[in-house]
Amino acid sequence: MMRTLHRTYVALIYVFLIAPIAVVMLASLTTTSFVTFPPRGLTLAWYAAIFAHPEFVNSLILSLVVGAGTAVVAGTFGTLAAVAIVRERVAGAGLWLALLSSPLVIPTVVLGIALLQWYTIIALPAGVVPLVIGHTVLALPYVVRLVCAGLAGIDPALERAAAGLGATPLQRLRRVTLPLIAPSVIAGGLFAFITSFDDLTVALFVVSTNVMTLPVRIYNYMQFNYDPLITSVSTVMIVLSIALVIIVERVIGVGRLFGKAAAR
Amino acid sequence: MRKPWALGLLVPALAVLTLFLVIPLVNLLVTSFHAYSSTQGVTSRWTIENYTRFLFDRFYLEVLARTLRVGLETTALCVVMGYPVALFLQQTRGAARNWLTLLLLSPLLVSMVIRAYGWVIILGRNGPVPLYTEGAIIIGLVHVSLAYMVLPILASLEQIDPSVLRAAANLGATPFTTFRRVTLPLTFPGLLAGCVIVFSLSVSAFVTPSILGGTRVKLLSTYIYDQVVSLLNWPYGSAIGFVLIAVSTISLLIFSRVLRRSHTDVVLG
Repeated sequence: MMRTLHRTYVALIYVFLIAPIAVVMLASLTTTSFVTFPPRGLTLAWYAAIFAHPEFVNSLILSLVVGAGTAVVAGTFGTLAAVAIVRERVAGAGLWLALLSSPLVIPTVVLGIALLQWYTIIALPAGVVPLVIGHTVLALPYVVRLVCAGLAGIDPALERAAAGLGATPLQRLRRVTLPLIAPSVIAGGLFAFITSFDDLTVALFVVSTNVMTLPVRIYNYMQFNYDPLITSVSTVMIVLSIALVIIVERVIGVGRLFGKAAAR
Repeated sequence: MRKPWALGLLVPALAVLTLFLVIPLVNLLVTSFHAYSSTQGVTSRWTIENYTRFLFDRFYLEVLARTLRVGLETTALCVVMGYPVALFLQQTRGAARNWLTLLLLSPLLVSMVIRAYGWVIILGRNGPVPLYTEGAIIIGLVHVSLAYMVLPILASLEQIDPSVLRAAANLGATPFTTFRRVTLPLTFPGLLAGCVIVFSLSVSAFVTPSILGGTRVKLLSTYIYDQVVSLLNWPYGSAIGFVLIAVSTISLLIFSRVLRRSHTDVVLG
């Protein structure tokens, strides 16, 4: 009895979790010129309509470029920092870790206006670079924590052995440590990509009318339009994110990605 | 052993954070102590009125109270919804558990803008919770933060030694008593961690309150945005920004103290 009640309650919560995503995806199939749920009729016309709006395609490409840039920059910088903290035990490791986690406690809207002001002062025009920088600040804490966790899981004796066999610190990092922590580094890069791909708040302050990421484009469009184009664009974005995770999962395994990544 | 070269590994990450987080925030802090004039914009006169102003501004105090209320209600709902899910996941084994965990985490892969839009479609159908209300914002925030509540609770459930639960049962405790007197107190650290994460996510969230609160229901984050972007009142907007940072930090400290105290009560009582 209790068990059935518990099961039903949990099932309802899962319906709650999936509902808004399923509704957006299903609503994209409607034949009406306004968003409605359940959809009326069945058509893919709203997917074809995306190509009639080159600004959405351009924004998607920009978001992918900025996401990839963030994955590379935050992934590299975060991995180096994690190696310094966990493996090389630099002086003040706790302090550095706290500093590298600090973006987590700054509300993104405050980071957004601070960056807008700062970019104006240093005269950095809107483009890929300011977006990648802003998203790197957001993503660094995740990369550092993920790679720190990965480093904690490998046997230090392997690195000592490499050093004992005469490897220089750089050789040791490149030939032993990095291959061992590759799954955490990839997971960190993936998290950085998703953080960037998902970000509205920071981008909202940093973009211009010509350089606009997809979340900002969708956000602006939904303020004034109520046609189903939003739902088809959103579905493309959802499918892309899920496809990326499935590809990475095939490469390194889902247990490693979610089990470690999300719990920290 | 001193390894000066290892410090070099930290340089790129720390440089990014110094140049594009610390310095911009210091600059913003300086701005928040400058006076604003509707004709000249940010003036060179120093003042603390951007911070004292809210003591007399009824509208502002309402926004502050609403932000805290939404944060608390979201956290409470996440506990009520998240704890049973964590228990269920812990009791489930094998492939079913992997799938349920994946399903719990998959919404995190979908942009918050899209998830909020999904709620716009659902709540726009004139159900019990209308759009552009506090209730709509809370539903959206619970959806965004539920996984962050479930994961730490699940982690502390996993750490409970099953023999402790068997011992309770052998000593004649009913399943409910075992839950209340053994499981619940032992999972308090996870519950605490979940509450801290969810509360701080909710009070500083921007996307969800902006889309589901619309122009009618303002929280601190959306109020800051209006001040800076629509009214161009940078000093006041940034002052509220630092109040938001202070509010979330202070409430987190209080939060963890209260929860820690009630934790000892449960253990002792």
